[in-house]
Amino acid sequence: MAQEIIIEENYRMPAPVHVGDEKGSLTRVIQQLVFTVDHKKLGLMYIAAGLLFFVIAGLLAGLIRMQLAFPNNHFLPPDVYNQSFTMHGTTMIFLVGMPMAFGFANYLVPLMIGARDMAFPRLNAFGFWVFFFSGLLLYFSYVGAPGLYAAGSAPDVGWFAYSPLTTKAFSRGHSTDYWTLSLLLGGIGSVATALNILVTVFCMRCPGMTLGRLPIFVWCMVVLSFLVILALPCLSACQIMISLDRYLGAKFFDTQAGGDAVLWQHFFWIFGHPEVYILIMPAFAITSEVIPVFSRKPIFGYPVMVAAVVAIAFISLGVWAHHMFCVGMVSLANAFFVTSTLLVSIPTGIKIFNWLATMYGGKLRFELPLIFCIAFLFQFLIAGLTGVMLAVAPFDWQLSDSYFVVAHFHYILIGGLLFTIFAGIYYWYPKAFGKLPNHKLGLWHFWLFAIGFHITFLPQHFLGFLGMPRRIYTYQSDRGWDEMNLLSTIGVAIQSAGILFFVYNLIYSYFWGKKSGDDPWDAWTLEWATTSPPPEYNFAKLPLVKSRRPLWDAKHPEDPDWKHE
Amino acid sequence: MINPDSEDPKFVEIPEPTGWPIIAAFGLVLLFAGLVTSFFITFLGVLVCLAGFAGWFLDVFPHPKHYAVPLEEAPEPHTTARSIKYLKIGHLGHRMRLPVEVPPLMAGVKGGIVGAVAMAILACAWGFFKYGSIWYPVNLLSAAAVPSLAEASQAALSQFNLLGFIVAVISHGSVSIMIGLLYIVLLPMLPAKFEWFWGGIMTPLIWSGFLFATIRFINPALAVHVDWPWFIVCQVAFGMVCGFVVFKEEKVETMQSLTLAAKLGIEAPEENS
Amino acid sequence: MNSATTENPADWKLPSARKFGILTLILAESALFTIFVVAYLFYMGKSLNGPYPSEVLEFPLLGTLALFSSSGTIFMAERCLLAGNKPGFSLWWGITTALGIYFLYFTGAEWHHLIFEKNLLISTNTFGTTFYSLVGLHAFHVIVGVLLLLGILISSLRGRLHSDHTEHVEAISYYWHFVDCIWIVVLTVVYFLSVRVQP
Repeated sequence: MAQEIIIEENYRMPAPVHVGDEKGSLTRVIQQLVFTVDHKKLGLMYIAAGLLFFVIAGLLAGLIRMQLAFPNNHFLPPDVYNQSFTMHGTTMIFLVGMPMAFGFANYLVPLMIGARDMAFPRLNAFGFWVFFFSGLLLYFSYVGAPGLYAAGSAPDVGWFAYSPLTTKAFSRGHSTDYWTLSLLLGGIGSVATALNILVTVFCMRCPGMTLGRLPIFVWCMVVLSFLVILALPCLSACQIMISLDRYLGAKFFDTQAGGDAVLWQHFFWIFGHPEVYILIMPAFAITSEVIPVFSRKPIFGYPVMVAAVVAIAFISLGVWAHHMFCVGMVSLANAFFVTSTLLVSIPTGIKIFNWLATMYGGKLRFELPLIFCIAFLFQFLIAGLTGVMLAVAPFDWQLSDSYFVVAHFHYILIGGLLFTIFAGIYYWYPKAFGKLPNHKLGLWHFWLFAIGFHITFLPQHFLGFLGMPRRIYTYQSDRGWDEMNLLSTIGVAIQSAGILFFVYNLIYSYFWGKKSGDDPWDAWTLEWATTSPPPEYNFAKLPLVKSRRPLWDAKHPEDPDWKHE
Repeated sequence: MINPDSEDPKFVEIPEPTGWPIIAAFGLVLLFAGLVTSFFITFLGVLVCLAGFAGWFLDVFPHPKHYAVPLEEAPEPHTTARSIKYLKIGHLGHRMRLPVEVPPLMAGVKGGIVGAVAMAILACAWGFFKYGSIWYPVNLLSAAAVPSLAEASQAALSQFNLLGFIVAVISHGSVSIMIGLLYIVLLPMLPAKFEWFWGGIMTPLIWSGFLFATIRFINPALAVHVDWPWFIVCQVAFGMVCGFVVFKEEKVETMQSLTLAAKLGIEAPEENS
Repeated sequence: MNSATTENPADWKLPSARKFGILTLILAESALFTIFVVAYLFYMGKSLNGPYPSEVLEFPLLGTLALFSSSGTIFMAERCLLAGNKPGFSLWWGITTALGIYFLYFTGAEWHHLIFEKNLLISTNTFGTTFYSLVGLHAFHVIVGVLLLLGILISSLRGRLHSDHTEHVEAISYYWHFVDCIWIVVLTVVYFLSVRVQP
C-alpha cells in the first residue's frame, strides 16, 4: 500500500490485521487510528495518551519541586506555581490515572472474557476521543484563557477548586472555566466508557464464563466502572453548578447570597473519594493477575478477593467527609466518617494477606511484572498505614493540608498505582506487540524509579510533621525544612532518569526486542489463548470456559482445574 | 452473536471502522470550547455534533455496519509438563490444621461456667486462709472498675461490698465464658497428644504471663496485693476444669469441608459419601 | 455453582446489551439528579430574599398529567409492536411524542410566567438557582427523550422499523419511564414540599 490517500473510497481494513503490528506509512497508521472502533487499538491509544499526559504532568511536578528545592527560591513566579500544582493534580487524576485504567480495561476485558469486541464499539471510540479532546481543551488554557495575567492563564484553583475561590470575584477571566468545562467533558467520556465496560462484561461473556469464573482483573474493572457510573455524575453536577454560578450568576456557592461554600466540599468529595478508589482499582486488578502467574499458584481465596473489592467500593461511597475534618462538622459526623474510613482497612488488609498467601509457597519467577508488584505490596502497605493514621480525626486536625498528606497520597498513587501500571505494561507488552520487554533496561527503570520515589516522598512525611503546609509557594530557611526539601527534589531527578529508561525500553523492545511467542509467561487467562498480537477478531472460535483458569485447562487436559473447583 | 454454532467458520463479522464518533466528540468539544472563546464556536460545535450523531445513527440503523474478516488458524495452546498436587483437608504433613470437628458451642459456655466456679472456690479459699475473708479476692478483682475499692485499705477489702460483688461476678463470669468459647475452637487445633497439658496448663500459663506483664495497667490494686503462685494455681485449675468439661462433650462437624455456597447457606451441603 | 446448563454453549444466555446499557445509563443519571435534589432540599427555606416557592409556584397539573399518561401510551405502543400491529404502534408512539412535547410547552409557559411576571431568575436567590437547575435538568432530559421518540416515530412512519428493533424501542421506553420517575421526585420535592416551607 504505497498510496498516500487519507480516505480511500470503500475503505476496508486490510485483513487480518494483528493489532499492534500495523504496517505501512505513518499517514496510513494515523488513518487507521482515527477511524478505528477496535477495542485493542483504542486501549493502546488510551494508554499512549495517558503516558503522554503523564510526561507533561511529570514535568509540571519537576517545576514544583525545583521551586521548592531551596528556601526563598524564585525559580517560578507565584502564579505559575499555583497553575503548576493545579494542572499537575488535575492531569494526573483525570488524564493519566483514569485513561490508564480505561486503556487496560479496553484492551483486556474483551480478551479475558472471550468476546470479539466491546458491546458498543463506536461508543468506545467516542469515549476515547472525548477524553483526549477534553485534555487538549484543558491544556489550551495555557494559551487561550485570558486570566488575571493577560496572556494565557491555566487554572490555578487546585484540583478540588474549593469555593469561594472559584467565584467570579476571586477567579477572573476564563481559567477556571477551562477547568470546569474540560472536566465536564471528560466526565461524559468516562461515563460512556464505564457503561461500555459494564455492558461488555455482563452481556458479552463467552460460554461458560460465569461471574464466578471471571478473572479478578475483570471483577476489579466491573467495580471500577460501577464507581465511575455512580461518582462521575456527581462531579458533572458540581461542574454544572459552578458553571451556572459563573455564567448565569446562580447562587449555589455564593456565600453572600445565602449559598454555602461547604456544600461544594461535600459535593466534590462525594465524587472525590470514590474517585480515589477508581484510581487504585487498576492496581488491585493488575496485581491480582501478575502475582498468581509469577508465583505459579492460583490466586488465594478468589471469592474473598472479589468480596473484598466489592466491599471496598461500597464503603468508599460513605467516607467522603474524611477529607473535611478541618471544616468543623458536628462530632457525630466526625465519628461516623472516622469509623467508615477505618472500616476500609479491613477488606484492604484481606487483599494484602491474600496476595501474600498466593506468593507463599509458590515458585516465584522474578520477572519485571512481579518485581514491580512486590514493590507495590510494600509501598501500598505504607500508604495504607498513613491512611489509617489520617482517618483519625484529631490526627487529621493536626496534619491536614500538610506535606504528610501529600506523602500519603503519593505513596498510594505512585507507589501503589503507578508501580502496578508499570507492571501491567511490562506484563502485557508481549501481548500487544509480540516482543518481550528488555529485562536489563527494566531493572534499571525499577531501581532508579523505586529509589527516586522513596527519596522524594519519604522525607515529605517528616516535612509534614515539622509543619510544612501544602501548596505553599516558598518558605523561610529557619524552619528546618531545607535539607529534606532538597532531598525530595533530588529524588525527582532520579525518578526522571528511571522514566527515561522506561520510555527507551518501550521503543527499544518494539524494534529490537526478542520475539515473545504467543504465551511468554505461561499464563492462564484467556487473553493468552490467542496469538500475540491478537487478530482483530480476537478469537477464531469462541472458547468454552470451564474453570477460573481456562488456559490451564487447555494446557493440562490430564489435570484440569474444573475438577477441583 | 454469542452462539458459536451460528458462525460461518471461515469469516467473522466485525464492526466497520467509522469516523463519526470522532466527529461527534470533536463537535461536543467545540460546543464547550465556545463557552470560553466565542459563541460562534459553540454554534459550529452544535452543527458538527449533530452531523456526527446523525452519521453515527445511520451507521447503526437499521442495522450496524459490519464486514467479514477471514479467519486464521488459531494457535494451539502449548502444553507445559508440570505435575501438581492438590492439598486436601486431613492430609498428613499438611501445613494447616483445620479442625474438622469441634465441641459444640454450649460446651464452651458450660466449661466456662464450671471453670469459673472452680477458680472462684480456690480464690476464696486463699482469701479465707490468708486474710480470714472470702470477700478479699472478690473485691480485688472488681477494683479495676470500682474506684473506691482501688484505694481501699486491707480491712475494707475484707468487708463484703455489694457493688464489688456484682462487678466481680459479671466480669469473672463473662471472661470465663469467653475463654470457654475460645477453648472449643482452640483446643482442637493444638497438638493431638497431651491435650490436657496444652489446654489445662500451657494456655493458663501463657495468659498468666500476659497478665503478669500488663496487670499494672488494668488493675493496679490487684497488682499490689496479688499472690502470684496462688494466682497461677487458680488459673491452671480453671484451665483443667474448663478443658475437661469441653472435651467430655461430643464433637460436631465444622463447615471447613463445605463449599463457600453451602457455608453461606445458598446451597444445601452435599452429603459426604 | 457448576450446574449442567452452563456447560452447554447452546444454553448460554446473557442479558440484552441495549437494555443493560440503558439501565446503566439510568443509574448514572440518577446519581446526577440526586446531587441536584439534595442541593434543592439543602437550600429549601434558606433564601435570603423573595420570591419564595409558596408565593410563586402553582401545581403543574396539566403538565404532570401529560407526562404521566405518556408512560401509559408508550406501554401501549410497545404492546402493539410486540403484537406486530405497526399502525397501532405509530399511533400510540405519536401520542407519546405529542404528550412529551406538550409537557415541554407547559414547562416553557411556566418559566415564562415565573421570569416575566414573578421576576424569579436563576440569579435572584437560592430558590431560583436550585429550582431552575433541577427542573431545567429534568426538562433537558425530556428534550433528549423527545428527540429519541421523534427518531423512532420518523423511522416507523417511513416503514423502516422492523421487528428486530423491539430492543431499541424497549430501551427508549425504559429511558422515558425513568424521566417520568424523576418527575415524581421533582414534583414531590419542588411542588409539594418546598411550597409548604415558610420562608
